[in-house]
Amino acid sequence: MTPVEARAPKRWPLAVLAVIGIGLILAPVAFGMFSKAPDGASMMTSFSPFMTRHRLDGFQADMRDVGNAVAQGQQAIRHPGRARGGNRLLARVAPQFASFARQWRGVDSDMGGMLVKIKANLPNYQAMAALPSFRLFPWFFVIPGAILLVLAATGLARVAAWRALRWVAVVLGIALVLAPVGAQMFSRAPKGAQMMSTFKTIETRHHLRRIQGYFSEMAVGQGLVQLELVPALRHTDLGAAQIQARYPALHTLDASWVHILNDMTPMIAAMSNNINDYQAIASLPSFRLFPWFFLLPGVLVIVIALLGDRRRGRGAAERERPGLFNPVNQGVT
Amino acid sequence: MTNRFKLRLIAAAVSAMAVPMVAAGPGLAAQQLHGVFHIGAGSYIRMGTPSGGFFSNPYSKDANKTYTTFLSGGGGGIRTDVAQNAPSPAFDSHGNSLANSIITPTNFTGIRFGVITTLQPKFLLSGHRITGYLRHLYAQWNKQTFYQGSIVHGTYRRRSHHYTLTWHTEVHGGPFDGYTGYWHLQGTFSP
Repeated sequence: MTPVEARAPKRWPLAVLAVIGIGLILAPVAFGMFSKAPDGASMMTSFSPFMTRHRLDGFQADMRDVGNAVAQGQQAIRHPGRARGGNRLLARVAPQFASFARQWRGVDSDMGGMLVKIKANLPNYQAMAALPSFRLFPWFFVIPGAILLVLAATGLARVAAWRALRWVAVVLGIALVLAPVGAQMFSRAPKGAQMMSTFKTIETRHHLRRIQGYFSEMAVGQGLVQLELVPALRHTDLGAAQIQARYPALHTLDASWVHILNDMTPMIAAMSNNINDYQAIASLPSFRLFPWFFLLPGVLVIVIALLGDRRRGRGAAERERPGLFNPVNQGVT
Repeated sequence: MTNRFKLRLIAAAVSAMAVPMVAAGPGLAAQQLHGVFHIGAGSYIRMGTPSGGFFSNPYSKDANKTYTTFLSGGGGGIRTDVAQNAPSPAFDSHGNSLANSIITPTNFTGIRFGVITTLQPKFLLSGHRITGYLRHLYAQWNKQTFYQGSIVHGTYRRRSHHYTLTWHTEVHGGPFDGYTGYWHLQGTFSP
């Protein structure tokens, strides 16, 4: 083996590395990540005020307040006081309140179920939020891809330089392998995928319309309690203190209604404003695959960069010798 | 020059002058209104739901709870020569709007809403017809602002100063996404 043979690496590994580099650069373009990833980041930011145990407990407490008021309102209508004027008023409220109570069963079941699902996904949301910002994700592919492409192109142009550059490629490969490990993607990304799967039935225009309808029904119900039921009860032989003592949930709903509105309408707004963002991020490949999008190219880069150190055969090496005609070096091929 | 040719020439000249005059007619006749549209009894907003019905506001003072009626605020109504911006702060701690210039903040489901303009509107009168450029109008409720601007149309009777204005604007985004605000204002205009 001549000294020239010892220095000359094979060219095909460089070509493969260049292809991997191009693949990494093009992957986020092909998936539309440059537009979709910021949408995902925006969605995560919009959800953050609501995705806390305290806030979700608060929504469930709001639902309980309405539910208790419905139950006690029905009870008050069934067992009115003795004054006739009040009974007449209660009789007038009764059909509307019965209608609201029926609607409430559906609202409570659907919206309550939604809150249970969201709460169960709180750890999944937190895992997803702990990942690096979605805005950065496309660059996690493009930057290593570009570095790899430059390394491979330099190696192809100046074969002698590749002996040193391949170690940079190995380090880059190791970084690609370690990135998902460091960001705990193997545990967090599947959780994110699970959350995305749960939100598939929540973040839809159709579901939003239902929730908006529930809000409207709750508003009508609260109005019935405050503006008709409680005034009707005041016309019975019950005093204000007795009404409050006997039907505390009616008073609680009245007292907490503005808080419920303050609480729920921003949540409905967040649901509404993020439907498109959710759809964008849901159209990306499953989150479960993301760690592998780093790990597999990383392993390939390491293996190929190391293989690239294997010496070429005599014939190929001869073409690298200075002074001899080399169609590759002369730009003929 | 034959008579027929003369006639044709005259007809061409007349139509050459008449066409732009007819086209510009409404513009020529239109007069810009400067003053205050006082918002009187019978003015309302209805919130059309995406499914086609109307949102019922239990706190409405109208017998039909899908009509939320309101009256002028401290500024007397819609002023043509100024923007009636939101005060600072725009809301109290409960989310009630503090914007009380155009309308008196009015209860909607337990929280009062107000109306603001961020640019001065422009109203043109042509005959009895008003065309208003009220594109920078917003409703504020529960610490949120909803775009409700539009080109509005209505009528005005000079003798009685009585006017009507109507328009509708769909809400995009937020808790009322897909709802449509149907507005009707009536009252007197003070030039």
